[in-house]
Amino acid sequence: MDVAYPAGLLVVAIGIVIGFAALVREKDDLHRILLTDLAEVLALVLIALVATDLAEALILPGLVVGISELMAVSEVYIAREGLRAPKEPAFRIEVMESAPGILALILVAYGIFLSGFTGGVVAAAGAVFYFICRGHAEQFELIETVSGYAWAIWIGAFFIFMFLPQYWFFAVMMAGGAILLKVMAKMSLVGTMRGGPDV
Amino acid sequence: MTPEFILGCIILIVGVIAVGFPRPKTYLSRLISLEIPGFGLLLIMLAYDEMLALVTFIGVTAISTFVLVRAIERKEAAQ
Repeated sequence: MDVAYPAGLLVVAIGIVIGFAALVREKDDLHRILLTDLAEVLALVLIALVATDLAEALILPGLVVGISELMAVSEVYIAREGLRAPKEPAFRIEVMESAPGILALILVAYGIFLSGFTGGVVAAAGAVFYFICRGHAEQFELIETVSGYAWAIWIGAFFIFMFLPQYWFFAVMMAGGAILLKVMAKMSLVGTMRGGPDV
Repeated sequence: MTPEFILGCIILIVGVIAVGFPRPKTYLSRLISLEIPGFGLLLIMLAYDEMLALVTFIGVTAISTFVLVRAIERKEAAQ
């Protein structure tokens, strides 16, 4: 441990020097965005070297901020350059035609069985996979409405915990089902990033 | 100094060089090279038992790859 921390710091310092040397010499903007992702990995190593629970607590928000930043920057880049989605799909893969329905069904069913936050993530992975492979033609206002009601049910479950603690099992079920819907509705929006008529 | 840590540091440096100066200098080769320092980071997290951070990083990497591929796809189509 005593040797590991300075050694790790040295490695990260070398990595940062190399990464920024490449960033300074780069002229193309999209290459620069890719190198920004590299800088994020180096920053995460720096935090991970702390090697306590504090590191873990700092890495999680770092990752979330990093991904939202990357999404925003790439969106700004696409808008600025005026890039459009290609007319024809870049490649056709037979598996992407037949598999999504089955896999999405299995993932969503397993997610509902798990319920709660984890279940929402698993079910959403199925929905995202389906939307990415097949495209989508849903009214997203409807999904957002469901997500809003789910949030209200979730808060209602907490009031049951506070004022009627003897019905805790009912409240757990309510909260578990509501957060499942909420997470799934929010995450399935990621699957619409290719753009579409109703987004 | 566990073996995972040493291996992670080596892969990290190799990966940073690979991403910084990719040989065929295309977007795709740089994007694929980005996985190498990611693996270095995963090994370092593994050495310190940071399980939650490790799992979240894997999930976020999948989404970030998707975001970058989308930008690259449009850029290549425009050229």
